[in-house]
Amino acid sequence: MVETQALTQRFGSTVALDALDLQMQPGVTGLVGANGAGKTTLLNAMLGLRVPTSGSITVLGFDPQTAGQRLRAMVGFAPERNVLPDEMRAVDFVRHLSEVQGLPRSEARNRASDTLWLVGLGEERLRTLGTMSTGQRQRVKLAQAIASDPKLVLLDEPTDGLDPVQRSEMLTLIGQISRDFSINVVLSSHQLEEVERVCDNVVALDAGRLVACGPISELVGAGDGITLELVDVAEPAGSVDAVEAALRAGGLEVRRQEATLALRGAAFEELCDRSRDAVAAAGARIRRLDTRRRTLEDLFEDAPR
Amino acid sequence: MSGTSAPAAPTPSGEAAQIIDQGYRSYDGPRTGLPGAVRSVVRYSVRHTLGLGRTARHKILPWLAVAIALVPAVVFVGLAVVLDIDIIEDEILPDYHEYYDFITTALFFYCGIVVPDILVSDRRSGMLQLYLSTPLQRWSYLGSKALAVALTLAVLTIGPVLFLLVAYTIEGSGPDGFIEWIKIFVRIIVAGGAISAAFTAASLAAASLTDRRAFASVGVILLLLGSGFVTAALVEEADMSANLYAFDLGGISDELKNRIYGIEGIEPLGSEGPGPGDDFSPGAGRAGLSTTFVAAANLAWVALGSAVVWWRYRRLALSR
Repeated sequence: MVETQALTQRFGSTVALDALDLQMQPGVTGLVGANGAGKTTLLNAMLGLRVPTSGSITVLGFDPQTAGQRLRAMVGFAPERNVLPDEMRAVDFVRHLSEVQGLPRSEARNRASDTLWLVGLGEERLRTLGTMSTGQRQRVKLAQAIASDPKLVLLDEPTDGLDPVQRSEMLTLIGQISRDFSINVVLSSHQLEEVERVCDNVVALDAGRLVACGPISELVGAGDGITLELVDVAEPAGSVDAVEAALRAGGLEVRRQEATLALRGAAFEELCDRSRDAVAAAGARIRRLDTRRRTLEDLFEDAPR
Repeated sequence: MSGTSAPAAPTPSGEAAQIIDQGYRSYDGPRTGLPGAVRSVVRYSVRHTLGLGRTARHKILPWLAVAIALVPAVVFVGLAVVLDIDIIEDEILPDYHEYYDFITTALFFYCGIVVPDILVSDRRSGMLQLYLSTPLQRWSYLGSKALAVALTLAVLTIGPVLFLLVAYTIEGSGPDGFIEWIKIFVRIIVAGGAISAAFTAASLAAASLTDRRAFASVGVILLLLGSGFVTAALVEEADMSANLYAFDLGGISDELKNRIYGIEGIEPLGSEGPGPGDDFSPGAGRAGLSTTFVAAANLAWVALGSAVVWWRYRRLALSR
């Protein structure tokens, strides 16, 4: 679906994309990374809005630089920025963008309404965009991106500014669009749990470098160490610190968040035994000991710096 | 519409009722491509600038400009009907080419206040990025916007004079004969089109240079008014070359209109040409310019304005 070879994008001395080699497979692909990781730059390169400094990119088999017009007729895009003209009605906005994407007028009018119904704004379609909530405006952006029935939709932070309920609904909608209508989706987000929930594939970026790329089922979810939650008892003081120090001294990889330690670096049984010994020696108490599941966060933690 | 349908039980009349599924579905019909995109942007932009489909406050300024251009024509036609006179022959009411004085006021107003919004709002809101993520490219986006501005300006530059022509003709004071009528008609279209093109290019150039609507408006007004005063002062007060009139956008497009109507430029009163001691008369002395020079100067304004817009948009970063 999308393939890059040594794709590099520089802005002056800043390297936004650093020799990316990746392949995105059909389905929902999560493009994850912190703010400034290069997600939006990669989306712009996919649309042909920027000329890469070096390297190459193909999207749906087209080079965005040489066949951008043909490619963009098959791609829907919902940018991160609020791009909705306040005084325009939702249905007029979606219809206009559908026409610009190449739908005939009558078809654009029908599909604008149908798409707004799909995203849950059927009753609100005649409202002006300036009177809509953030959640509704995000749905309108999604609607304009899919109204022309594209083969690929690029969504840049589609859950930005949404509360947890709205976020969940938006993710469900994105999953539905891909599943029910066979539209490939690239979902840019810095919320790792969102990507884990809805995506089939993941591309993880960190400061313009590729951290991981592949099916999410292969990259996350497998057992990976243990989680050890301790009770930070008053006597002896600093027992959690002592457990952490002992485990580190034993060569284990320890990640600590308050009184919870994530341990890796040995087999499950050995991790349990050594945790037990360290806790006993420090006089601490165990509240919970569990197998640990590998997460997207681990991909970033494990990335070479 | 490509909806799916399911036959239902026959109605009493014997016809099969159908339930049309209006849900979202795939579309594999024809697509209009770049021409459809351009048409849609032009249509949207024309409606946007004229305030159509927008709240009342967005309609005030553009329609005020239309009123400034059109109301005098309505009044003149009304006078002609009421007074029952041969209005042009008796030089009581303005001839077609003289009516442009009213249009110029409306043009300055429209270009200064209304036109900048057509580019500035897209850049400020991010709509530009959205447009360029479609089959539109920078040149086709800008072409669409320029066409929309030129069309709305043509409403001001062609509409009222065409109205005068039709009304004078109906009233019996129109051109003598069909050939004369066609001549006037073509002059109205060509002169209106030429003025629209020059003003479109210049006002879009000013609007492309800033993201602040107010600054763009000031820029357009300075360009239109300032260029006239400065060149007139240089030529007529400092006795510099009359070729400097090429830099007076309003004046040189007005002069082109005069040439299209077969009328030479304004002469200072009581003299063959401008010179020291003459009363200050902005625009006087353009009569000495050749028609080729006048036409080239107008073309240069169009080319310069277009070049500034393209230079600005070619360099414009949408986002990282």
